[in-house]
Amino acid sequence: MSRLIACRNLSKRFGTTEVLRDINLEVHPGEVVVIVGPSGSGKSTLLRCLNVLEPISDGELEVGGKRLGDRGTRKRDIRRETGMVFQQFNLFPHMTARDNVMLGPRKVRGQSRREAGELADRLLNRVGLADRSHHYPSELSGGQQQRVAIARALAVNPRVMLFDEPTSALDPELRGEVLQVMQGLAADGMTMLIVTHEMRFAADVASRLIFMDEGRILHDGNPKTLFQDPPSDRFRDFLRHVQS
Amino acid sequence: MDFRWDVVWNALPQMVDGAQLTAQITLLGIGGGLLIGTLCGLITAFRVPVLHWLVFVYVSVIRGTPIVVQAMFIYFALPLAMDITLSGFAAASLCLALNAGAYITEIVRGAVQSIDKGLQDAGLALGLSYPQVLLSIVGPLAFRRTIPPLGNQFIISLKDSALFLVIGVAELAQRGEQLTAQTGRALEIWTAVAVFYLIMTFILAMIMRLIERRMRIL
Repeated sequence: MSRLIACRNLSKRFGTTEVLRDINLEVHPGEVVVIVGPSGSGKSTLLRCLNVLEPISDGELEVGGKRLGDRGTRKRDIRRETGMVFQQFNLFPHMTARDNVMLGPRKVRGQSRREAGELADRLLNRVGLADRSHHYPSELSGGQQQRVAIARALAVNPRVMLFDEPTSALDPELRGEVLQVMQGLAADGMTMLIVTHEMRFAADVASRLIFMDEGRILHDGNPKTLFQDPPSDRFRDFLRHVQS
Repeated sequence: MDFRWDVVWNALPQMVDGAQLTAQITLLGIGGGLLIGTLCGLITAFRVPVLHWLVFVYVSVIRGTPIVVQAMFIYFALPLAMDITLSGFAAASLCLALNAGAYITEIVRGAVQSIDKGLQDAGLALGLSYPQVLLSIVGPLAFRRTIPPLGNQFIISLKDSALFLVIGVAELAQRGEQLTAQTGRALEIWTAVAVFYLIMTFILAMIMRLIERRMRIL
């Protein structure tokens, strides 16, 4: 039981459009997998399928040893194994940063107000926002909001973290603080799947790089090797576009 | 033409009675309307099978007919059609509740549907159940958004209650008509009636403003 995520022949269709085709993927504990690819290649949809925010059309999905479709396994059980960080942060606007982080532990893990509060303080401290815990999302910068969102996702103690373009909605000068927090998580051994356009981050932090195109995984391997010697014209083109 | 204050003074007790009745009908109307509207609004927002079609018919019928016709129907036609006879007060309250309910249905539906889907995703991604997401996230946010349009609807309902003079309910407007007939002083009576309505709608508006201020709209 060493793999945290396993999907076999996973497919996703929206109506007649195939967004994901026969995805086979295994992720092991401690891996930092960066997924890149042109827009519309299915990267985000793949992440959303992994925590069943999108129902899958075909194939098998197993997360943290829990298999989708097994008797007694609810979508919620799979979601509890994963933490998700969204492009648009999606913080709950009617709650303070602290309450945002506390909601998961309280409702999902059944923690008391005090336990959840202490956990929230610890996590906000970890993302460098201890002094912002009583601020509402509207009072925080984009970078701060995204760091709160990371703390919120960590609070339910997931075994895998999914990042869906976590810096795409941020001004360039705010990206660094978010990437730094993510780098810290990677260094602590957190298993992560990251959809991003930050090639520098991919080269520095990823232990594995996946290139997706038209709903398929085209390449899957060591980031350094793939960046240095792109195995296909498709990937070479893509790299030229994002780097210019 | 001079303004005779003594006419207003003498009419005051009856007007206060009328205003009280107006307030009672309005409170019952918006209370009932809130209940109906919240329920029906949630049914349409979540497209509950079959039921949302019934709500659609209800909203269409109420929005598509004048409230005077609705009042006449409930008071005069219902006894003939279904052997249900209501007092003027009951008919007025029911009519107002049904009427406000239809509009509040749309307010609630709009508020729920306006909540960013991403917030729902964020809640589900944490592992919350769908009811938990509704209760902790979508509900509180949608509730805040209903407040400004609800205030509007409450004021409309209060003023619409004047129409119940057509079914002889002794609310404020009907008192106005009676008092004018008795005294022949239309200027004084209708001015006073208008001021009464103005005071009541103002109070309602202030209450809504207060709630709005205590709860930041997000």
